[in-house]
Amino acid sequence: MWDGMINGMLTGITTTLIPLNIAMVLFGCFMGSLIGMLPGLGPITAVALMIPVTYGLDPTTGMVLLAGVYYGAIFGGSTASILINAPGEAATVATALDGYPLARQGYPGKALAVAAYSSFSGGTISVIFLMVFAPMLASISTSFQSADYFALMILGLTAVSAFSGRGSVLKALMMVVLGLMLATVGTDQTSGVQRFTFGSLELLDGIEFLLLAMATFALTEALSIVLTRDESSDSFKPKAIGFKSLAVSKKEFKLIAPTIARSSLLGFFIGVLPGAGATLGSFMAYGMERNLAPPEEQKKFGKGSLRGLAAPETGNNAASSGSFVPLLCLGIPGSGTTAVMLGALIAYGIDPGPRMFTDSPEVFWGVIMSMYLGNIFLLILNLPLIPYFARLLAIPKNFMVPMILFFSLMGVYLVTFNDFDILMMVLFCVAAMALRLMNFPMAPLLLGFILGGLMEDNLRRALMIYNDSISFMWERPLTLGINITTIFILFFPIVRSFMRSKKEDGKKEVAV
Amino acid sequence: MAREKIGALLLLLFSLAYGLLATRIPLSFIAQDETFTARTMPYGLAAAGLIISLLILVLPTGDPDGKKTLKEVTLGMDWRKAIFLVGAMVAYGLIMKWLGFLIASVLFLIAGFYILGERRIKGMLLASIPLVIVLWYIMSKLLGVYIAPGEIFYQLGIL
Repeated sequence: MWDGMINGMLTGITTTLIPLNIAMVLFGCFMGSLIGMLPGLGPITAVALMIPVTYGLDPTTGMVLLAGVYYGAIFGGSTASILINAPGEAATVATALDGYPLARQGYPGKALAVAAYSSFSGGTISVIFLMVFAPMLASISTSFQSADYFALMILGLTAVSAFSGRGSVLKALMMVVLGLMLATVGTDQTSGVQRFTFGSLELLDGIEFLLLAMATFALTEALSIVLTRDESSDSFKPKAIGFKSLAVSKKEFKLIAPTIARSSLLGFFIGVLPGAGATLGSFMAYGMERNLAPPEEQKKFGKGSLRGLAAPETGNNAASSGSFVPLLCLGIPGSGTTAVMLGALIAYGIDPGPRMFTDSPEVFWGVIMSMYLGNIFLLILNLPLIPYFARLLAIPKNFMVPMILFFSLMGVYLVTFNDFDILMMVLFCVAAMALRLMNFPMAPLLLGFILGGLMEDNLRRALMIYNDSISFMWERPLTLGINITTIFILFFPIVRSFMRSKKEDGKKEVAV
Repeated sequence: MAREKIGALLLLLFSLAYGLLATRIPLSFIAQDETFTARTMPYGLAAAGLIISLLILVLPTGDPDGKKTLKEVTLGMDWRKAIFLVGAMVAYGLIMKWLGFLIASVLFLIAGFYILGERRIKGMLLASIPLVIVLWYIMSKLLGVYIAPGEIFYQLGIL
């Protein structure tokens, strides 16, 4: 195993250390930080916006760039959370809890520097775990058959729904189904039959995943800024941050070091879970740190605690790296952002899953090794550039929103050169906006859409192997194991809420 | 009515329409005897969509955010600007073929800036024209991607 890992690392190093890939990591981190910093825009939007740029590149370079954009965007989102209390996405909400109060107390530079060091440490530590666990899982998963894949995709989609929050499981499941429905539009690959095309030539190839990703995230998020009259950036004064204010003392480092170690470990393993992702990673790390802190320190949480800032920052970066494990080893995305990256992999002509480990080791190891480089770049590039990056937050939304809309529409148009796609994007954007207003989450829709085609193919193959019987769901021990896990994940929140309500009823009876 | 119930109702209708349309997916003579056809997955999804949306409708709302009504959530929202921006995007899609990438994009950006309240003409021109030209130059000159000029140039005999 270790020989394979060392060989893989060497492949990764030789792949990453070519000038083009180094430049792409740098460019990815830079663009990710830039886009992620804009209020309202998260990593999904950042990655989706950058995909058109990667279409002219080879798959490894493309994925290296997208990975850079991903963690760059997470870092950029933290900057917006700390400076103007406007988290670009859920994963950086916990960062704002202590980061923003610190900035308000006159330490925006310190808060940004702690966030940068924590992100760097969380990212680097979790990449070491990724290097060890990803090949192990990939080598086990080479024995997977179509039946296991089908079960695994159901597990991934169920997990995304189950982790979507209290009272949102059914809504997330509904969005998964809607995504799967959209994936059936176009020509059926096996029979050549047209489905839901309404006689339109433009729909024969189905819906372009980039189009859906841009419409449901980039366009919708830009319109949300207008709709909700988001003025978060208007009061920001970019001159408030100087280089000297970025200093962190030795004592402060000592205080956050154990927090970083704990949060890295927790964040990585949460990220590995399909569907959990950076949001859960950051909140769990914050919660754990608050519980572990001595009473005096606990009081500071929410009021500008350095530990309260370091924990979610480390947790979300570690979970981001962790979410690459199911993506690279099983072809199952762990989060909305990795779902978009899976779509990009499929568009590059790479078959995601365990075969990627053996068929395209340069992509597999190239992405992993590029993360080291990306984390270093993020630290040495972003830290000195923070004062300048922060000026972006002062761009008036009058200019920012139309530009986001323009880049989103162009991102799709310059790939397909079809003006029908612009109209279709607007249609999906309006529908997504309506669904968001009705409190339906969008990430599960994207996940369902991307996995839809693969799921149908694997189910069809499994049925053929088992003579049109669904007995494969319980006859194969591995498939059965995955299915039991799915059932557990699906019913765990229901059982938990039932137990909670029973407990509350019991308390009420005692009170009476 | 809670906003997530309205969403569930709409998705129930969507699933119903999807299921009905799935019955119209053409099948070859041979495919009709097969267990897994082009209709199988859509039928399964329609059934799943119907069941889940019905469950959301029938079961009590667990998410405190979902309990709010649409009126409560949309109160004070800037619908006018958002609708104008959607209109600008539609217009952009419609004029792209006729005016070409450069002119259509500049017009779209200026319209967007104007809708959001920008009135400084110099600022709008400086923010849109260089951006579009740089993007066009990168795509067509550096990357060699052919971006077709607008139909209008052929109609007017300029090209």
